[in-house]
Amino acid sequence: MVRRRWMRCGGKEGICAMSIDQRPPSANEGIKANSRFLRGTISEGLTRVETGALAENDQQLTKFHGIYLQDDRDLRAERGRKKMEKAFIFMARLRVPGGVLTPAQWLAAETIARERGNGTLRLTTRQTIQFHGIIKSNLRQAIRGINDALLDTIAACGDVNRNVIARVNPWQSRAHAEVAGLAAAIGAHLLPKSRAWHEIWIDGEKVTGGEEEDEPIYGRTYMPRKFKVAIALPPSNDVDVFAHDLGLIAIEQNGRIVGYNVVAGGGMGMTHGEPDTFPRTGDVLGFCSPEQAVDVAEKVVTVQRDFGDRSDRKHARLKYTIERMGLEPFRLELERRLGFGLAPARAFAFGDNRDRLGWVQGDNGAWHFTLFVENGRVRDAPDRRLLSGLHAVATLGVGRFIITPNQNLVLADIPPERRAAVEALLRSHGLDAPVRGLRRNALACVALPTCGLALAESERYLPDLVTRLEDELERLGLAEDDITIRMTGCPNGCARPYLAEIGLVGRSPGVYNLYLGGAFDGTRMNKLYRRDVDGDAIVASLVPLFREYAEHRSAGERFGDYVIRAGHIRPTTGGNRFHLDLAAELRP
Amino acid sequence: MPSLPLLPETAPFPSEQILALNRIMSGTSVEQRSWLSGFLAGVQAANAPQPVASAPPARRAPLTILFATESGNAEALADLARKAAGKLGFAARAVDMADVTPAQVAGAQNLLVIASTWGEGDPPQRAIDFHAALMADDAPRFEGLRYAVLALGDRAYVKFCETGRLFDERFAALGATRVAERIECDLDYEAAANTWIDGALTVLRAELGEPDAGAVIHVDFARAPAEAASYSRARPFEAEITEHVRLSGSRSSSDTWHVELSLEGAGIEYEPGDSLGFVPGNDPALVETVLAAAGLAGDRQLHRRLSEQFDITTLTAPAFDQYVRLTDAAGLLRQEGWQVIDLLEAAPHRLSEEQLLSLLRPLAPRYYSIASSRKSVPDEAHLLIAAVRYQSLGRARNGVASVDVAERRKTGDGLRVFLKPNPHFRLPADPERPIVMIGPGTGVAPFRAFMQERDALGARGRNWLVFGHRNYTHDFLYQLEWQDLLKRGVLSRLDVAFSRDQPENRYVQHALWDAQRELFAWVQDGASIYVCGDANAMAKDVHATLQRILAEQGGGDGAAALDALRREGRYLRDVY
Repeated sequence: MVRRRWMRCGGKEGICAMSIDQRPPSANEGIKANSRFLRGTISEGLTRVETGALAENDQQLTKFHGIYLQDDRDLRAERGRKKMEKAFIFMARLRVPGGVLTPAQWLAAETIARERGNGTLRLTTRQTIQFHGIIKSNLRQAIRGINDALLDTIAACGDVNRNVIARVNPWQSRAHAEVAGLAAAIGAHLLPKSRAWHEIWIDGEKVTGGEEEDEPIYGRTYMPRKFKVAIALPPSNDVDVFAHDLGLIAIEQNGRIVGYNVVAGGGMGMTHGEPDTFPRTGDVLGFCSPEQAVDVAEKVVTVQRDFGDRSDRKHARLKYTIERMGLEPFRLELERRLGFGLAPARAFAFGDNRDRLGWVQGDNGAWHFTLFVENGRVRDAPDRRLLSGLHAVATLGVGRFIITPNQNLVLADIPPERRAAVEALLRSHGLDAPVRGLRRNALACVALPTCGLALAESERYLPDLVTRLEDELERLGLAEDDITIRMTGCPNGCARPYLAEIGLVGRSPGVYNLYLGGAFDGTRMNKLYRRDVDGDAIVASLVPLFREYAEHRSAGERFGDYVIRAGHIRPTTGGNRFHLDLAAELRP
Repeated sequence: MPSLPLLPETAPFPSEQILALNRIMSGTSVEQRSWLSGFLAGVQAANAPQPVASAPPARRAPLTILFATESGNAEALADLARKAAGKLGFAARAVDMADVTPAQVAGAQNLLVIASTWGEGDPPQRAIDFHAALMADDAPRFEGLRYAVLALGDRAYVKFCETGRLFDERFAALGATRVAERIECDLDYEAAANTWIDGALTVLRAELGEPDAGAVIHVDFARAPAEAASYSRARPFEAEITEHVRLSGSRSSSDTWHVELSLEGAGIEYEPGDSLGFVPGNDPALVETVLAAAGLAGDRQLHRRLSEQFDITTLTAPAFDQYVRLTDAAGLLRQEGWQVIDLLEAAPHRLSEEQLLSLLRPLAPRYYSIASSRKSVPDEAHLLIAAVRYQSLGRARNGVASVDVAERRKTGDGLRVFLKPNPHFRLPADPERPIVMIGPGTGVAPFRAFMQERDALGARGRNWLVFGHRNYTHDFLYQLEWQDLLKRGVLSRLDVAFSRDQPENRYVQHALWDAQRELFAWVQDGASIYVCGDANAMAKDVHATLQRILAEQGGGDGAAALDALRREGRYLRDVY
């Protein structure tokens, strides 16, 4: 296949016509092409007992199966002296379009975590569950347990369409069913067709023969890079619809979803010190009908498949493809493939990108409880026995467990007559305690010790930092104000830090970049405010701003808007302006 | 390399037996071969139809010294007794119970039995067959046989010297004549055994009516039986600890240490499979507690003696009785699991130094399999030591030697060591012979030595290691070394079983069972099977599993098949 690419001419603004990409493809392209549709030598690697790892190429391929090889970084220093390799462990990530699980599936997940993993469940910003700490000898059993629960981990990572996320609002039962249904439909349509997952993890690999496989949408080299889809339903932007390769904004009229605004080219990741990498909010391209939505998703995928950069993985996401091509050429290519033009975008308005905690009754009479799960980590703490409490709720066998894009959990569809039972369990496990304004709007990625990319702590550190900040906010009378704060251990952006009012991105152990000025509704990214600051400096930087905000904000003004109005930070108007308009001392 | 002795094709055996004999012979040392020829001649003589009267001149009265050994102590004693007997004019030979049947002993005239008791009153595994045959209903009669039994044991166990006692009673019941009362020796057996051997030999001589029956030959215990090293239990070598690393991960539930010792200048020429012994020091805090309980706190000289010379934990039955007498504590009941300190604190009494010491055994050495090969690390010996710690009767208990090394020794310190050869746990002499090594936990130590040796020699035989422990991540001892050996093809195969990584406990025997077809193929290819480690559970479970595999795959009697392997020297165990 001829690899085409939009090239920049003369290194300046203009974009010349399609040309042939002369650069060599990245190593991953060869791994994918030679993988026999994602098989590689994974099965053989699972039999090698002397190492807890898999072959390097297979480590890339397992991602397509929702499985990451990691190691316990807390133990790295001691291993060599003890004559042991790194403490290799796997992370397995479910594919749960829309994040909806049955109680039985929740119990199965908990059992897998206890028997095969580290005993905890990690709810993620992609509305799924990550199992951490699975050693190689337990991996197949863990995946079989997932399969037995009618779930899978296919395409939860890798250069494919990842878990499709969707607005969580079961209290509007029909609208929720429609967006969750679309999430499932897109997820199913874009699922790799390879049987590799079943062969390797469930059935055992065929020795020879079998039908020649094909990937009608992806081809044998799949996508240039990961691809993410999110579906929002205003006024909530809980999915952060602008942070994904493809976003769909449901447009509701008279209680019915009449179609979707199409948003393309969002993405959070960047690399420190490389200004041509940047987070980007997607652009609104137009509007499509509900019936067209799956087709739109497929064609956006194929445009990116053909035009995405397959040489440099740091520039391979759709956001860079669109930056390179320009939005209009991209739209033209998309519409050419669709065979129809997108309608003009409809008006929409978002209010926030958070979850509202607590009980709410739905339009069909059922009750729903949004449970705060700090950083998505489900485990028992002495005063907050999440794992046990949710186990008890699940054994009631009622309702559904819906993971939110903010790493919380909605206990949905509780019949009115069972609400008291659920409430009693929440109370007896310490799960009904109030949470203050900053903490309930805080998000952290996993980072140390399991994530191989982390440069600094995140999940293990943010709660302490929030406690310090909340003490200050309390003194200023802001304890109950909703302010979004998000931390990641590296610049890749799993907790969508660039869309928070306060963003913290790890640089090195204990050191972060501090970003300010994101919009409360997730429509505007923040901007670098302080470089390389530690916890004390973060607190020292924020407290004066909090004080000012408490004194000078206008009615209803959000913190992220205030710091811009007060001139502390310039607004970020687009991804390619993320690194610009910085204070003088921060300019490179 | 000297050429190996081979039977000619014309030897009076079926060809497969010639092959088998050649295989065995090729694995023997010069010493073993000369012993074998002597042994066969001796058996021949003993079983010869001639009456006693026509035996060789009376000054060379035949004496069989039959030993049942597990750790080598009985064997060493037998060797010393043989030498002493030789000086007294006996035509003495020392015979391992593993190599004879009761019927072959029935023709002997004079017999010394030196038997160890193992674990909870069991005979050493090498003597199991002999023991069973002797106890069987169809055991031969021993009329005309004069015998005496020296029993070795450990008073810490209830069935102290059980095996020696059973042998003693059984020989009598089968018509033999006991010429000396049985002696039962504790861990500090040397002096008592010496005296008894002298006495027993003297009585045997007297029974034979020899003129110089009064002569006493003193056994020299200062010299190691193998006479290989000049350092010995009585005169250990002060080895410097050059490396002291906790191999267990920081989150491991076990605490296993890799210790490297410099043997430079020691001349300790150990072989893979051998052990090093050392006398540990006691926990100073426990010494203090014991002294305080006895009302002797603050006695610095006594503190030192207790630290270095006495076993301050083991409470033997005689010591308990002694204490009851001393303190007039009639009615005091000895509880299961009591150590000395429990007794002292249960019935406190001020003791004199002498009284306290009368309750204590000498501090015995502890033995650890050497985890290295001199061919790979000349002048070094490596040990693998798991610290033993447990709670019992409301008190934290520590293994004396293991915790001494784990907690109180560090790099640069010394350890007073001596060699304890283990001739029954050696690599096959044939470098081509495949081996299967089953060594969970610290049982893997000798197999690290085996692999270093075979690696250094460039031995081409295939090597299969079966390792096990609790957690893969935290307890995979020497993982990087096994990886390297696998990569270089020295180690041919590795199987693992980590018991606590999954809901169901998985042990080495499960790994063996899963690999039974391949294991059987290796056995058919002539593989020797080695087992090292825990005797109570692991070795028994592995033994049973090997029997099942041989039955399942070979289609016959698994027990008999495994027994045949053992007799061929292809099923070797070093368990503790």
